Amino acid sequence: MKRWSAGLSVALAAFALFALAPVPGAAQTATGTYTPPRTAEGQPDLQGIWQVLNTAAWDIQDHSASLGVPAGRGVVEGNAIPYTPAALAKKQENFKNRQTLDTENRCLLPGVPRITYMPYPFRIVQQADKVTILHEYSRVMRYIYMNGNPHPEGPIDWFLGDSRGRWEGNSLVVDVIHFNDETWFDRAGNFHSDALHLVERFTPTGPDHLLYEVTVEDPKVFTRPWKMSMPLYRRQEKDIELLEYECGAYLLKQEWAKPDSPYFNTP
Amino acid sequence: MRRWLIATLAALAAALFMWPLAGRAAGGDPPQAFYRPDTPKFPQARTWVAQKAKLPPYRAPRTPDGVPDLQGNWNGPVGGGNDDLEEHDYIDVTTPPQESYVSDPPDGKVPYTPWALAKRNEIRAGLARGWPGETGQRLYTDPSSLCVNGMPRLAFGGQEIIQKPGLMILLTANTYRVIPTDGRAHMGSDAKFYFGNSRGRWEGETLVVDITGLNGETWIDSAGNFYGPNTHMVERMTRVEANTIDYVITIDDPTIYTRPWTMTYPKRRSGTGPGGNAGAIPNAVAAAAVAPAADPYAKEVWENTCLEGNHDNVVLLKKLGFKWFDAVVPPK
Repeated sequence: MKRWSAGLSVALAAFALFALAPVPGAAQTATGTYTPPRTAEGQPDLQGIWQVLNTAAWDIQDHSASLGVPAGRGVVEGNAIPYTPAALAKKQENFKNRQTLDTENRCLLPGVPRITYMPYPFRIVQQADKVTILHEYSRVMRYIYMNGNPHPEGPIDWFLGDSRGRWEGNSLVVDVIHFNDETWFDRAGNFHSDALHLVERFTPTGPDHLLYEVTVEDPKVFTRPWKMSMPLYRRQEKDIELLEYECGAYLLKQEWAKPDSPYFNTP
Repeated sequence: MRRWLIATLAALAAALFMWPLAGRAAGGDPPQAFYRPDTPKFPQARTWVAQKAKLPPYRAPRTPDGVPDLQGNWNGPVGGGNDDLEEHDYIDVTTPPQESYVSDPPDGKVPYTPWALAKRNEIRAGLARGWPGETGQRLYTDPSSLCVNGMPRLAFGGQEIIQKPGLMILLTANTYRVIPTDGRAHMGSDAKFYFGNSRGRWEGETLVVDITGLNGETWIDSAGNFYGPNTHMVERMTRVEANTIDYVITIDDPTIYTRPWTMTYPKRRSGTGPGGNAGAIPNAVAAAAVAPAADPYAKEVWENTCLEGNHDNVVLLKKLGFKWFDAVVPPK
């Protein structure tokens, strides 16, 4: 009896260790056991400079390599995106014409969640009533209001949508609506309409990792909600800081020098 | 009426009104105000330097990590913003009469070397804004009308200042700066940026920001006053009253100017007095102007875009024949 009990204890302990130990890179749920430090206001402290290490900026689904595009595992849970038949056809058309149709190529604001997994670092800044995300890419600022205000009444068509956040345990949960239909999810033509509704969760899974999960809902484009998830990594370089990628300035300078740039002949 | 719609209509109206001036949609600039010819001259450096000499000593409250607390929403200067930084009379509806921002040299002029002054005058004569002294030819348009922004103009708009240990975070209408104050070194001198490479330190009550690595591809105002890729700037921000930050910037570049020179103006806390030109946060200020005080969203900053809504304007400026402004290369 005693021995059995000791054996059970060891087994339970081993199970507990296995179950509770953080597994880097594994899909974790928002109920991890890591307890982050707190800000002066008592919020979980998610501040610092973060970046993805994946290829979602090129294609959020599993994809092969091509010139300038690294192969990659997708970030979509189950890999398939539940497009309606018409939307799937449009996605394929988008892919074919991505050079001209992708607004990233015109340096317009890339939208949410795309801005989060572009290959540039971003800084999370917390205050009592808002979380601000400063992106190196085009110095994009994203405000997530935590002041208790609901989404303003629409219709509003914004590139980054309207973000309202709350804390659920250690997770920052952000509800985002009021999008326009001009941005894509990636360079592969995955798209949404202005009816896009996102729920993002930023969950600390260790001192240097956040799990970033996004539930995507858009009844005009998808037959059901679907989900992306990926880790965000804290940049470790000693003197890491956000530098600058002034997309619009570089683009205009380049196009200005071309005698017949189509940039100045397209709406 | 919804706020964004009002803001959009106002912007459209302004854009139509401004059309002959060839588009000054201006990313970093404060919202445009319009002035009558009989507008009294706005006080700038001369008046402010005299005023601040009379202020009693002030010690700012400290942040939890023990440095002066500069946090909050702060206005840009009164008047026509950075339309023309030197002293001038009424020029047009967006350029009211005002004193120079230059506090040193005392004559309020940018101390250009002769070739640089000629260059500045050439740029100014080719603005095609209908200003006196123009040639009628189009040369360069203000880079900020193409959504190209940089220092030091950014510091002449309103901003929200947030402090974290070792960091100053400055949020403006649609861009930001993060200034490390942890003693780290500047980056290598070949790395050039529109905003330069800022390093801050505290000297008593004053935040001193040393800026190197500027690419020199933007202007100091919208009238063609320029700097270059060798220019070094030092900002000093001091809370001299509870609701006033004394903003001082010294600009030095022996390849362009005969001596270092300095601009200064007071940044007033938003909502506490003079500081007409744009509040910290254009959307919030616009909202306060048109929405009931009880609007729960009045303090929020809503999406600000520049290039996204500026394509037609950019196309127009290109078709009008304006050249791209590259950093000015001093003659050998």
